[in-house]
Amino acid sequence: MLNKIAGHEVDRRLLLKGAAAGGLGIAGATMLAGCAPSAAGPLSFGARTVDESPTKQLQGLVAAYTAKTGNEVAYNATESNAFQNNLSQYLQGTPDDCFQWMAGFRMQFFADQGLLVDLSDVWNEIGDQYNESYKIASTGSDGKQYFVPQSWYPWGLHFRKSMMAEIGLTPESINNWDDFMAALGELKGQGLIGLASADKGGWEAMGTFDILNARLNGYQFHVDLLAGREKWTDDRVKEVFRHWEMLLPYMNTNVLDLEWDGAMQLLLQKQAGFFFNGSWFGANFLEQSQEDYDDLWIVPWPEMNPDHGRDTIDAPIDGFCVAKNGANNAGGKDLAKFAGDMEGVQAMLDTGIPMTSANKGQDTSTYDAFQLQQLAVMNEAKYITQFLDRDTRPDFAGPIIGPAFQSWFKDPSSTNSILESLQSQWDALPALS
Amino acid sequence: MSQLKTAVTGTQKTRRRRFFSARDKVTLGFFIGVPTFLHIALVWFPAIATIMLSFTYWTGIRLEDIQWAGLANYENIFFNSPIFWDALRVNTIWLLWFFVIATPLGVLLAYQIDRQIRGHQFYQSAYYLPVVLSLAVTGIIWNFLLRPDGFVNGLLGLPIAEAISFFGDDRYNIWVIMIMASWRHIGYIMLLYLAGLKAVDASLREAASIDGATEWQTFLKVILGAMRPVNIIILVITIIESLRAFDMVYIIYGSSGGLPILGVLVYNNIAGEGASMKGAAYAVILFLLSIVPIIAYLNQQFKEDNN
Repeated sequence: MLNKIAGHEVDRRLLLKGAAAGGLGIAGATMLAGCAPSAAGPLSFGARTVDESPTKQLQGLVAAYTAKTGNEVAYNATESNAFQNNLSQYLQGTPDDCFQWMAGFRMQFFADQGLLVDLSDVWNEIGDQYNESYKIASTGSDGKQYFVPQSWYPWGLHFRKSMMAEIGLTPESINNWDDFMAALGELKGQGLIGLASADKGGWEAMGTFDILNARLNGYQFHVDLLAGREKWTDDRVKEVFRHWEMLLPYMNTNVLDLEWDGAMQLLLQKQAGFFFNGSWFGANFLEQSQEDYDDLWIVPWPEMNPDHGRDTIDAPIDGFCVAKNGANNAGGKDLAKFAGDMEGVQAMLDTGIPMTSANKGQDTSTYDAFQLQQLAVMNEAKYITQFLDRDTRPDFAGPIIGPAFQSWFKDPSSTNSILESLQSQWDALPALS
Repeated sequence: MSQLKTAVTGTQKTRRRRFFSARDKVTLGFFIGVPTFLHIALVWFPAIATIMLSFTYWTGIRLEDIQWAGLANYENIFFNSPIFWDALRVNTIWLLWFFVIATPLGVLLAYQIDRQIRGHQFYQSAYYLPVVLSLAVTGIIWNFLLRPDGFVNGLLGLPIAEAISFFGDDRYNIWVIMIMASWRHIGYIMLLYLAGLKAVDASLREAASIDGATEWQTFLKVILGAMRPVNIIILVITIIESLRAFDMVYIIYGSSGGLPILGVLVYNNIAGEGASMKGAAYAVILFLLSIVPIIAYLNQQFKEDNN
């Protein structure tokens, strides 16, 4: 090739001109693609779930996208824990163009590493379909957006209406800690488990910590603690564990042998009165039967400190990112935009899988009763947090807090030494670059 | 090319003790060079890189983010991570269990089968069967059996809430895991030892019995001595198997700290978003733990041999 050019004695200046023109052409093409992402070509989508319901939902989305644009989409699914554990490697290798991920710290981390595509222009187009809080959760530390929200779910106290009616409890009227303890005592008296709990996966109990800390010490302390501005050895954190310990007699004893779905089974099989978890498992109830789903209800965790009331809730947002190392960035963006646009949201809703979408356009009149109740629980809160492992450093949450909570379950009397150890492990973390 | 050939034949004439033609050399070079290159690229390079990275802070993503950390990762592990000591405890119990119970049991079985006790073929295949399964598969099978909604709890008619916490309760989860691991390890040792026993000269045994030695004396003083090379292999395997344990525990507990072992700690600190070079430091510690006792033992053995 080079020889050929030399042989024809191409004028160097001409060559440069050509290159400049070509460059402009390329730049123009990308600008065009940026303006009107009518991206073509095959692309791939990475789902971080292999469960029945969400798979059906996401495949509905992808099929609708293909039907609209004619772009073929390869659907690749990975089990969620495996997907999370391999994400760094995945994003550095040959990732799917558009993939399912979480908002907040977990997205920011990868955006900071330059592994995600800036979606600000997508937000310019579909941003008005979302409330400001979703935009904040989708924004990286550099102020650009890297995430398109799909859905949210609140963490709350779930129970079965029929079961509570039978026992004669009215969970809606559980307003404070004393009411809650009395209800748990009543359940225990009936030979039932008060609060179904799990922590085999190492993350399930983080939700309980979040809510106890937020209720007792307030949103600001919780956020500051997770950001390292407050100390784990603080008496206020000890207070959290003191209250947690009061719950232990009402929990199943095999907390460390159950993962979240094991604890969910306790509620499903009516062995437990309450289950504190994210409402996503409503889809699992629906897989069982419509009757089980209709029986499911949620109330906010009771007030524990009048100063803070019930003003905070963990309501993690799931959604989509576009991988920079993907083969088709423009295509990935186009799919992410479609997923965030009401059109894509509708495609997911049309699959019949219950979803509380982040999109304002989802008409709440289409919500079923359980979804409306989720919305009510969500709306009661003034502050929204994501979840412990989405609100703090990943090298702290998984490898350090997870095992610490597990060892607390083994020996609740060791609270002080566990908290001291947590603080010293936090202090030993390298500064974030 | 032809010049090279004459040169080669020239040297062949002058030097009689010449074995390799140029073609042989190329072939040999190729056959040694390629595996050596692969070995260095796939074993030594990652190993040395891991050792070096264990002295740094790094999220494993951008090379320019690597920061020198000195001994901080190790300091952190030894002084700040209670889970390290928990894991070390579990690995030590694992090692002792294999050493005192599983391995001797395998040796005993091998000896019995070698003595051709009645039904020895049945025992041999029954004990060997688990060895053909990978540890991951072993984990999956036992998990089906023992988890709260598993087969055993179902058989006992226990609902999930009252299920025996085989994997969750610290009082016995480690022993459950030990039994699972032994299930496979015993058969493995048995097979290795059996192969060794078959090679022992029958006349040794005969001579011992003529001298009036009991069965036990024969085994202890004659057979065991004749089996020295196999014993070394078995010892090394026992140490390595118990320290490198990972797959079975990972299948059951995932990367959470349900039953902490060093292998899982390496993974937990180096995989995923929580990646830090603490994982590399764990890997180096694990490597030293495995290699030091083995080298020490072999050293001593060779010294004895020389005497």
